[in-house]
Amino acid sequence: MWAERPGVLGWLTTTDHKRIGLLYFWTTLVFFGAGGVEALLLRAQLAEPNSTVLGPNTYDQLFSMHGLTMIFWFIIPMTTGAFGNYLIPLMIGARDLAFPRLNALSFWLFLGSGLLVYTGLFAGAGPNAGWFDYVPLASRLYDPGRNIEFYALGLLFNGMASTITAANFIVTIFKLRAPGMSFNRIPLFCFAFLAASFGLLFALPSLSVDLIFLFLDRNLGMHFFDPAHGGSTLLWQHLFWFFGHPEVYILIVPAFGIATEIIPAFTQRKMIAFPLVAIAELLVVFIGFGVWAHHMFSDGIPAVTLVFFAGATAMVIIPSTIQVFAWTSTLFTGRPRFSTPLLFIVGFILFFVIGGLTGVMFVAIPFDQQVTDTYFVVAHFHYIIFGAAVFPIFGGMYYWFPKVTGRMYFERPGQISFWIIFLGTNLLFFPMHIVGLLGMPRRVYTYPGAMGWTAYNLAESIGGAITLLGILLLFGNLVVSYRRGPRAPADPWHGPTLEWSIPSPPPEFNFAVTPHVSSAYPNWDDADREADRRRLAEGVGVLDHGHEQVITTLADGEPAEIVRMPHSSPWPILLALAVSGAFAVLVIEKYGVAAVFGVLALLTLVGWHWKEEES
Amino acid sequence: MSAADYALARPGPSKAWWGMAMFVASEAALFSMMIGSYFLLRFKNVHWPPHGIPEPKLVVPLVLLGVILTTSAPMQLAVAAGRSGRLGRTRILLVLALVVQAGYFAMQVHEYAGDLSRFQPSQHAYASIYYTLLGADHAHVAVGLLFDLWLLAKLARGFTGYRLRALAAIAFYWHAVNVITLAVTLTILSAKL
Repeated sequence: MWAERPGVLGWLTTTDHKRIGLLYFWTTLVFFGAGGVEALLLRAQLAEPNSTVLGPNTYDQLFSMHGLTMIFWFIIPMTTGAFGNYLIPLMIGARDLAFPRLNALSFWLFLGSGLLVYTGLFAGAGPNAGWFDYVPLASRLYDPGRNIEFYALGLLFNGMASTITAANFIVTIFKLRAPGMSFNRIPLFCFAFLAASFGLLFALPSLSVDLIFLFLDRNLGMHFFDPAHGGSTLLWQHLFWFFGHPEVYILIVPAFGIATEIIPAFTQRKMIAFPLVAIAELLVVFIGFGVWAHHMFSDGIPAVTLVFFAGATAMVIIPSTIQVFAWTSTLFTGRPRFSTPLLFIVGFILFFVIGGLTGVMFVAIPFDQQVTDTYFVVAHFHYIIFGAAVFPIFGGMYYWFPKVTGRMYFERPGQISFWIIFLGTNLLFFPMHIVGLLGMPRRVYTYPGAMGWTAYNLAESIGGAITLLGILLLFGNLVVSYRRGPRAPADPWHGPTLEWSIPSPPPEFNFAVTPHVSSAYPNWDDADREADRRRLAEGVGVLDHGHEQVITTLADGEPAEIVRMPHSSPWPILLALAVSGAFAVLVIEKYGVAAVFGVLALLTLVGWHWKEEES
Repeated sequence: MSAADYALARPGPSKAWWGMAMFVASEAALFSMMIGSYFLLRFKNVHWPPHGIPEPKLVVPLVLLGVILTTSAPMQLAVAAGRSGRLGRTRILLVLALVVQAGYFAMQVHEYAGDLSRFQPSQHAYASIYYTLLGADHAHVAVGLLFDLWLLAKLARGFTGYRLRALAAIAFYWHAVNVITLAVTLTILSAKL
């Protein structure tokens, strides 16, 4: 039907969701490596008291960049950019995302934003006031370099990429589902990404406003955060956490989605309580918008307000628990086969429960006030963000590896990699609970030997090294498998969703004949798939005139119209280049040059819309 | 082409409309956060606006608000004319809307410049949020004007399905901008209360 253009130019101009997914994958892995190196440097510095591996200035930049990188340049782009991009269209029986060129734009903007902040780091002006960057520490008075400009503009830039992807996913899941896939038959994976996308769409603007205020305060002498001139330092925190807490759920919800794919595949059983799990995935994000001030319990906000937010936070327990019970009871009532992907999901459930329980402890306001800014908090959110958000990413890498590459991975090294990472992670993060309760503050670059923290910190650093070994084994396994692994069939796991109904790796057009769906586990409906094959053989319903796509109705998934989608295009990367130029010169306050880049961006938009897409 | 093999239901709003809906949703969130910030700052301060900064004008902004709100009518009528294939009428309505919107924009820029000659954004948090909020609103009007110009240039060579979808999406954008302008104007005027 069509083939992607080969060579470098083909990749630069591609609008294919699978290629963009792979671009996202490789790029975020590079950033993951950078964030990991930063973490190891921090652990090297903290391994013993009074260490001088890093100075305080370098340490500040590295811990800030570690947090920022892992959240904005690894987990979000890895889950949405790589997994979501590659898999959502395959799972809903579509040929691409709703806006293929916007998707390409999103990737190139994301890449530009990452290069921008890392330019700052390598120039010795990396963000240095932590990932939540509180004012007045981050104000010009106390942080006079360009560090915070790299932070503010880098994140603003990155937010554009995420917003575009979120909007694209929502419209894709709403309108591009295969005929018959009514709302109640959307795979749970896609419900999770729908929830994450709504979270991004409504949370990121709050961060954007905050960053714009910060930039204006620092560079144009405004006073949003300056109490001496009527401003408010708490304004920064409110806007930041109104974004920041939904953000935490945006990180974790895609992991739920991956779990709800892997568990059915390896127990050969449909998820228990499907509608409750779907609602719980959406509800986690929804409630996440009403809990932001629990990050501000030690700010001196009135107690009545604190109690409200503590109560709202406690509500998160309900959808979380629904999901934990749904995952575990599906495991117990099925016949689980503990292959590598499922092992990572079991690890994920354990970490999620432990990290969730420490999360519940923070609801108790006096306890929270006691441990705020200690390593106890660091332990809690690493159990959630590394244990619960990244483990399913690793599991998902193994699970979909055969689909994406057409090769099987090696099972035994896969299982060993899980156990090493699992043990390493616990050794790395569990002692942080204890040193936190012993009073060790976070974000200190060193500590005296007499505090009783030394042994725990050494154990953590050793845990970090073990985790690194496990991750190296994981990727080593995948690299060797990619070259020498046995050929993978279309459906090695007897998987539940539509991506397993097509060859491995998928052809450019994904589906030769648009599948008709009658349940949320369409690959297990043998009669339906047989009917698809028959229609293909008879040439009924084959969309073979180029990049055609069925648009279906929102609720019932009935075919409504057939549209033609754009193919490769040079405009997304050109537009991203113009925007990158604008952001780069804004860092050094060259507003005139930035305006020139703005005009260039407008011109590329005119070019983008010159040739009209047909219908 | 085997599109005929599909029993097609009546198509709902286009992909372009949905894309615009997502864009508008995130813009609405953006302005909500700015307006929220305005009131947070307001209730931090005893004097609002502070001494030395004049109160916002009442009549001119309200009249301008009324003017921009009326442009929703020609935009929506243009969509209807487009649907029934009347090219001339569509273009006239669009030009009419564009003239009013551009006049509104020119007046607002004039007012903005006039304000700047009386007080500076670096004077007080009130001035910072005042100029930022209004500036963001005006920037959205400017983007709408660019949309109009682009659409009129496209329509110079007749209708296509693509242009009709663009027309519906741009009209939707203007309705959203008008609602945002309503919220922003009332927020700014609340300083007189």
